[in-house]
This record gives sequence, structure tokens and C-alpha cells, in this order.
Amino acid sequence: MASVRRSRGESHFTRYLILGAWAFFCLAPVLWFLSIGLRPRVEIITPQPIYWPTFSLDAWHMIWEDWPMAKYLRNSVLAIIGSVLIDLVLAIPAAYSLSRYQYRGRDDIGFYILSTRMMAPAIVAIPIFFLFRNFGLLDTIWALMLIYAAINLSVVTWIIRSYMLDIPKELEDAARTDGASDLRILWEIIIPAILPGIITASVIAMIFAINEFLFTLLIASTPNAYTMSVALANFTGGSDGVIYNAIALVAFLAFLPVFLVVVAIQKHLSRGLTMGAVKG
Amino acid sequence: MARIELSGIQKRWGAAWGVRDVNIDIADEEFVVFLGPSGCGKTTTMRMIAGLEDPTEGDVRMDGQLMNDIDARDRDVAMVFQGYALYPNMTVYENIRFPLRMRGVPKEQHDDMVRRAAAMAELSDYLDRKPAALSGGQRQRAALARAIVREPQVFLMDEPLSNLDAKLRQAMRVQIKHIQRELKITTVYVTHDQIEAMTLADRIVIMQSGLIQQIGTPDEIYNNPANTFVAGFIGAPPMNLISGSLSGGTFTAEGVSVSGLRTDLSGRVTLGIRPEDCSLSETDAHLTGLVYGVEPTGDITYLTMKTGDKLFEVKAGRDFRAALDTPMSVAFDPDRICLFDFETGERLG
Repeated sequence: MASVRRSRGESHFTRYLILGAWAFFCLAPVLWFLSIGLRPRVEIITPQPIYWPTFSLDAWHMIWEDWPMAKYLRNSVLAIIGSVLIDLVLAIPAAYSLSRYQYRGRDDIGFYILSTRMMAPAIVAIPIFFLFRNFGLLDTIWALMLIYAAINLSVVTWIIRSYMLDIPKELEDAARTDGASDLRILWEIIIPAILPGIITASVIAMIFAINEFLFTLLIASTPNAYTMSVALANFTGGSDGVIYNAIALVAFLAFLPVFLVVVAIQKHLSRGLTMGAVKG
Repeated sequence: MARIELSGIQKRWGAAWGVRDVNIDIADEEFVVFLGPSGCGKTTTMRMIAGLEDPTEGDVRMDGQLMNDIDARDRDVAMVFQGYALYPNMTVYENIRFPLRMRGVPKEQHDDMVRRAAAMAELSDYLDRKPAALSGGQRQRAALARAIVREPQVFLMDEPLSNLDAKLRQAMRVQIKHIQRELKITTVYVTHDQIEAMTLADRIVIMQSGLIQQIGTPDEIYNNPANTFVAGFIGAPPMNLISGSLSGGTFTAEGVSVSGLRTDLSGRVTLGIRPEDCSLSETDAHLTGLVYGVEPTGDITYLTMKTGDKLFEVKAGRDFRAALDTPMSVAFDPDRICLFDFETGERLG
């Protein structure tokens, strides 16, 4: 028995050792750019290796005091939250229809919605630019909200649809015989039941939106509509050269909230990302 | 409360038949049980009464009013589902209150009505719990309370006890019957469990392959099965069915000889006799065979005999025991013998 216990303990130790090494391998770049962000600029570009780095908040002061980082952050938050809200308002009824009603072409419509995600963004970039220009939306947060919402609508719809497919049909039948209309069923029964799915879809949409660069660069031409991702690009040019520590710090600030949210909901997230693997 | 009439009801999905030509008139306050094996169309028929399925043909009427085009939420029916269908995000109290909110019952009446329904279902102590924190029996009672809270015209129950263990099922059966009698609400109940059907029903509707096989009181169905399907479906163990030939009032088959039958029929027939209408007998035996199995259950012993290549069930006394392959003789109660057409399975005489 003792040998069985010991071998189990050893197997646990080995497992954690491998997982720990893998976690370090994955997180090392993140820790590295955090360390870059918290060091003086001159130390970063020096050709000799530095074994005992100097701690400095130069980059921190620079991004908040010399650059309108607060504004970029606000733009990012508003555009992302707005786009997710638009997605939910459109995706929930669409997913309900795709998962619950029988009608001709339902599966084709579902595939069409998903296929919009398969298109290379550059294909629609120019038409979207002209469209937004004609509507006078260029360089506004509204445009960012709309474009992020459009990009993520298919994914959000399909994730929510996969959660809705798991809701027993009996629940809706019960609500219907209890006297509920379709809208009441959706609002009072379905939405509370798929709340984890809605949160998952929202987080995934947020991750995609915070990383979006091409359309943001196309639409935002002044700091009025710059987001964190475009702000990063601004540290790479101009008379100051490439400001690596500022880039690293902004990248870390953009990464951290998403990382924390993903850790908090990772169980739901893995389910959302494997949607349709088993059902639907 | 309400009288339900189903006339010429059919349900098809493309080429697949769900229900064929169902006609039944369910009286006000009656407790009718639809009984049959899986896929026989009993749940589909109930769903058409609820308005959750549209009949392909035929009419559903309640108190004479045609209901075909009336949505489920506008029919005054309450349904209890096999999987309970409790709303997981709501407490038991909110679950029971849900139909009152949906039907526009004045708010000030809600609390009284919810507590009364919960008391009838013996759930008063669990009103603050979510369904996930209830046992199977409590969930079923919560579903029942939600159905009875607004005292609808019709109760529809779709195998409500099938997920419960045997002891709880028996207790819930008594409770359901008691509540139905107390509230005097017309009830349609679907089950594949013949014991539930026999104990609960005023009338049983036996279905197979979308067709009604027989409608009758439990006694009628038990004593006078309309065909071999009904005979074989009702009773535990079911009726013994022996194929043989009939001539001059004498039935003969391998190992079986029954004379003195009061019938003028002759030719190939199927003889039916229930295990409880047989007795072990050395004299006047109608069937001889070898002991194939003995199953004591405490109050009774099931004896299975083999005659030729056929098995035959007998209910013997509680103390009966016998070794395998022991020769045995069995006598039938002549008044309880049923004869069926060999080809169609329909009852003769």
C-alpha cells in the first residue's frame, strides 16, 4: 500500500512539475514585457545583457502624462462594451430563432451568419471605409462599436445558440402551457438559463474586439477614436523612435484585464470555444 | 371543469404516422389514462390536447369549443412533464407563482394561492429553495403544485412519476389521485406503467402504433381485453396466450387440452388465461409441463412452466417451491378463459 501511495504522490508531483514548466513557458513572454515596461528606456536598448535590471516607472508616467492614454482606454472600453451590447441584442433573438423554430432555410441562414467570420477582413475594409464615410461616422466611437459588433456577431450568435440547444424543450412547453408568450419565455426562462453562455460569448467578443487593429486603424484617424491597440502602434514611430518600454506597458495593461476575466470564467470559456463539437 | 372531445385526430410528420384516427370523449371531472408502449402516440395525443402540437386532421374540442387554432397559452390547461420542467432560475415559490403572473391573476391573490397549492403538494417548507436543491419527489410535487395553483379546466400529466423510485411513485400516485378527486378537474394522464393506469384511471385508453386498441374502465380492460395486444399488455405477469385449435368446444395445443368451452367456434384460435386464474392441480389438469423457473416475491410465488417450446406463467401460493424440470399440471378457471382470433388477435365470442 505504501508503495502505491508513494507512486501516486510521485505521479502528482511529476504532473505538477510538467504543468508548472508549461505555464512558465507560456507566461514568460508576458513577464518579460512587464519587466521591459518597468525599466528605463536606455536599459532596454543597451546591447549588453543586464542581469540586475533597474526598476523604473518612466514608461508609466509617460503613457499617462505625455500621451492621452486615459482617452484611449476610455475609447476602448466604450467601443467594446457598446459592441458587445449590440451583439447581445441582435444575437440572442437570432440564436433563439435558429435553435428553436423550424423553418425553411434555417440551417442555411445559420451557416451564412457563421460564414461572415470566415471572410478575410481586408476584403470588406475599403467598402466599409466608404460606407462609414458616407454616414459621417469616420473617426467616431460609434463606428468602432458597429464594426466590432459586426465582426463578432456570428461568433456570439453561435455560442449562444449552442447553449440554447441544451435547454430542454420541456421548459418552454411548460412555460407556454403556463400562459407565457414567446418573448416572456425568452426573457424569463431562456436568458436566465443560458446566462453562463451569454457571459462566455461576451468575453470572447471582448477579447476579439480589444485585439482588433485593422478596422480601428482604418476608421480612427485622430485620438478621438484611437483605442489601446492603435495607441500601441503610435509608440513605434516618430522622432522618438520605437519606445519599447511604453509599448510593453500598454500591451500588458491591455492584456491584464482580459487575462483575469478568462481565468475567472475559464470553465465556461472552454465550453464556449468547443461549441458545436458535440451538438448542433 | 371541462369535457374534452377528440374526433378523427391524426398526426403525421411527412410519411411517418404519430397518431391515427383517435376518437374519444372525455367527460367532465373524469380521470383518463393513455397507456401504451413507447412510440404508441399517447404523448403526441396529449400534446395535441395541450396545443403544443397541431393535429394534421381532426378536431380537439373543450366544452364544445373548437380548440385547433387556439394557442397553448390560451387554453386553460396545466401540464406536468416527465422531466419536471421546473424553471431552474426560480425558487419553488416563484415556480408555482409563474402561471399566476402569466395569466394576469391579481397580485394580491398570488401569495394565498401559492401557499394553498404548496400545502396540497406538501411543499410548504421548501418554498425558498431552487429546484436544484430538491429531491426527485419534491421536484415532482413542485411541478404538481405549479399545475394545480390556478385550478385549470384540464390537467395533463405526461409520465410524471417515471423518474421516481418505486416507493415514492406509489406515494405520489395516491397524492395525485387524491388531489384530482378534491379539485374535480378533468385529467388526462400518460404512462407506460399499467399499475399506474389501473390504480389511477376512471377509464384507460390503450394505444399501439398510433391507434386506440381499447377504451374502458380498468375492470373492463382487465377482464375483457379486446385483443391479444391488450391482453398481453395488462397484468403482471401478462395473460398467457396459447395458439391452438378449437373444435366441438375443445381447445388443444401442445401440452394443453381444455374441453367444455361454451362456444360454437372452430379452427385456429389463441386461448388466453391470466396467471392468477390458474391453479396447480393433479386432477382436471388443462396444461402439463416442466418447471422452468420459480420466483418467490414474499406474498406470492411466480411459477414459470415450459410446455413444448412455450413458457407459461402461474401465480402460485407464497410457500410454493419446486425443483427445476419437475413435472407439473395446471388447471384453468373455465369462466376466465378468453379466446382470440388467431389471425387478427381480436377477441372472439
